[in-house]
Amino acid sequence: MDHMEHLTPDGADHLDRPDHFERQLTLLMHGTREQSPFDARRRERLRAGVRTHRRVRAARRAAGSVLAVAGLGLGLFLWPHGHTEDRPSAPRPRPASSPTSVPDAPSSPPVSPSAPPTVPATSLSAPPDEGPATSEPPITSGSSATTGYRPPTATATAGSPDTGTTPPAGARVSETAVASDDRSSPAGPNG
Amino acid sequence: MEQTRAGEYDAFVAARWSVLFHLARLLTGGDRHRAEDLLQESLVKLWFVWPKVADEAPEAYVRKVLARAAARSARRRWWGERPVAELPETAAAGDMSATVAERSRLEAALAQLTPRQRAAVVLRYYQDLPDRQVAQTLGCPVGTARSHAARGVARLRRLLADVIEPVG
Repeated sequence: MDHMEHLTPDGADHLDRPDHFERQLTLLMHGTREQSPFDARRRERLRAGVRTHRRVRAARRAAGSVLAVAGLGLGLFLWPHGHTEDRPSAPRPRPASSPTSVPDAPSSPPVSPSAPPTVPATSLSAPPDEGPATSEPPITSGSSATTGYRPPTATATAGSPDTGTTPPAGARVSETAVASDDRSSPAGPNG
Repeated sequence: MEQTRAGEYDAFVAARWSVLFHLARLLTGGDRHRAEDLLQESLVKLWFVWPKVADEAPEAYVRKVLARAAARSARRRWWGERPVAELPETAAAGDMSATVAERSRLEAALAQLTPRQRAAVVLRYYQDLPDRQVAQTLGCPVGTARSHAARGVARLRRLLADVIEPVG
């Protein structure tokens, strides 16, 4: 059993005492080896396998690169939209003060169009050359330049300048503001 | 550089082909075509790691790849191993030499083992590896490898009782 003698130093943990069957099995496995040379056909087949494996690896690498670029592009495409739309908007401007306190506070001009009587004054004092396209001008009787912008009823009553039925826009806003102030006051007639 | 690598690789394969092919045949239970496919896959993998393992242990690398691939591929359905109660073929006297008859009987008996048992038995009794290296090659604990080998040998005792006669 020369064959078993060279086994024992390394395989002492399992081959220290092989029985007869194990020794015969070892000999049988070694003795039945068939000589099969590495011929040209096998060599060519092995090289073809290497080439195929190399192509598969290159294809996998290319596919991985394409996927990475596509993912990066998709991320960059989605990133700015999400950033701008998710940003919270600034709070709406609020009136500097309540409408009833505006006359007492001349230093703070109102910002909201629903305020205060100083807004019509501004629009009334606007220069005439701004024209009716930008703001509704005050109605002046006898002015032919503004008759085209008036409603037909205003034209019919244009002959009486003192009893004009169409007040200026600023005046209407001012009256509305005052009326709303009167309605909102708790000391109203109804209430 | 590439030529040198290819030359060393070809020399290794040419020198060890016969041993590795016999190992593959034992690991597959005598299936010649499957053994050739397994050895081809293992040698292709060896080509891509050749610069790393050429100076160390290329045969150990091939052995590990072969054993693990045999155990893994044997679980695939299309290999279709079905254990039977009796050996499907017996050596007919006169039409084959004694060596071929013994090899056929051995391979038929190995085919009756589970893939893990077969791999453990082959690595232990053909490759002469200790239990620790068998476990390392198969990627399992030492106790598991020892158990696989012991059960495989116990089954081979029954299957090869008429080939390996007990000592009287």
